[in-house]
Amino acid sequence: MEKPLPIGQGALPLRRILLLSWTLAAILAGGVLNGCGNGDSGDALRGMTRNPPSDVGGISLPDQSRKGGIQTTALRPSGDDLLLVYFGYTSCPDVCPTTLADIRQALEGLTPGQRNRVKVGMVTVDPHRDTGRDLDEYLGHFFPAGDFLAFRTGDQQLLHKAEAAFGASHRIGKPDHEGNYDVDHTAQVYAVGADGKVEVEWPFGTSGDDIAYDLKALLDRAVGSGSPEPEKTQQTEKSVNQ
Amino acid sequence: MKTRISRTVIFTCLAILSAFLIGACGGSDGGNGGVQVTDVWARVTAPSQDAGAVYMTINSDQADKLIKASVPTSVAGKTELHETVDTSGNQNSTMDGTEPMMGMRPVSSIAIPAGKTVTLEPGGYHVMLFDLTGPIAEGDTIPVTLEFENAGEIKVDATARTQ
Repeated sequence: MEKPLPIGQGALPLRRILLLSWTLAAILAGGVLNGCGNGDSGDALRGMTRNPPSDVGGISLPDQSRKGGIQTTALRPSGDDLLLVYFGYTSCPDVCPTTLADIRQALEGLTPGQRNRVKVGMVTVDPHRDTGRDLDEYLGHFFPAGDFLAFRTGDQQLLHKAEAAFGASHRIGKPDHEGNYDVDHTAQVYAVGADGKVEVEWPFGTSGDDIAYDLKALLDRAVGSGSPEPEKTQQTEKSVNQ
Repeated sequence: MKTRISRTVIFTCLAILSAFLIGACGGSDGGNGGVQVTDVWARVTAPSQDAGAVYMTINSDQADKLIKASVPTSVAGKTELHETVDTSGNQNSTMDGTEPMMGMRPVSSIAIPAGKTVTLEPGGYHVMLFDLTGPIAEGDTIPVTLEFENAGEIKVDATARTQ
């Protein structure tokens, strides 16, 4: 299935190319993406902001991170907190662990008070191979404090709807004779604010320091602004496991 | 007089020969046609992560190609040279606000231009380990055999770390 590709000499690694192109995009795309924070705050963020921001407030997925039942949970934080959302899969050897390690490094750069206000939610784009338990254990490796959400749904339509709201996507490759397949996926990390809007998104390769910088700015901005409680339902999803 | 000249000539010859030998040795530090491999590391794996990656820095004083990398089957079932690439099919995908799609593709070789440093690093080239037989933990050492087109086989050890 996979064909070897010829290699150019001295090729730049993708994370540098992506950072470079995102920087160019930020400069050129003006109305769509802004490298700086929008006019509301005046705070310059290091990640990318969209105008208008993506509204993901209506998206809920089964969180399989908790023992004793699956809870359908909104992909938005509680109170003035932030929820960082990432779409990936556990057998991903390069991109996903790099990004999750960058997030972990960013969280380590926060004060304990700030740290308590940020949660990480990962959505598996490979629910066929990733069980809820796989995802829970995977995230527990990066975030041992357990303050994460492990989103997994076997309902492809629901997954696509969630991805579309964020601007994310994935593509499952054709299985080889051993049943192995590639997974291509967008690799942004999205910071969702209490109003269900994506406040900023970081492309693959954004350093932990830059993510931490933005998190601090967003948390400072959110203090005292007041926000609704997240929707949370206590129902158990029946169709998640294939 | 004659004898003295002869001695001088002999000493001079020896000096030149020694310098040449020392110079030759210095130039091929690490042997194998001048290829040097440093900072070889594997990423610590999370539970349920059955694929891993090994990264390293390679330089060579003459043009070469990394054509193969392998680890013992006691570590991983299969090893391939890989590159993480933008597979969205749109080279300027970021220009119109769409997000780049990232995927991995096997590569037949990795070119090492003469005098240049090539880094296998997250988001770029890596040695992909399929079907890991167990988790890779912090501080683990994985023997990696690299095969270069000109320099031949070089054995290195990858040390596991988180990032």
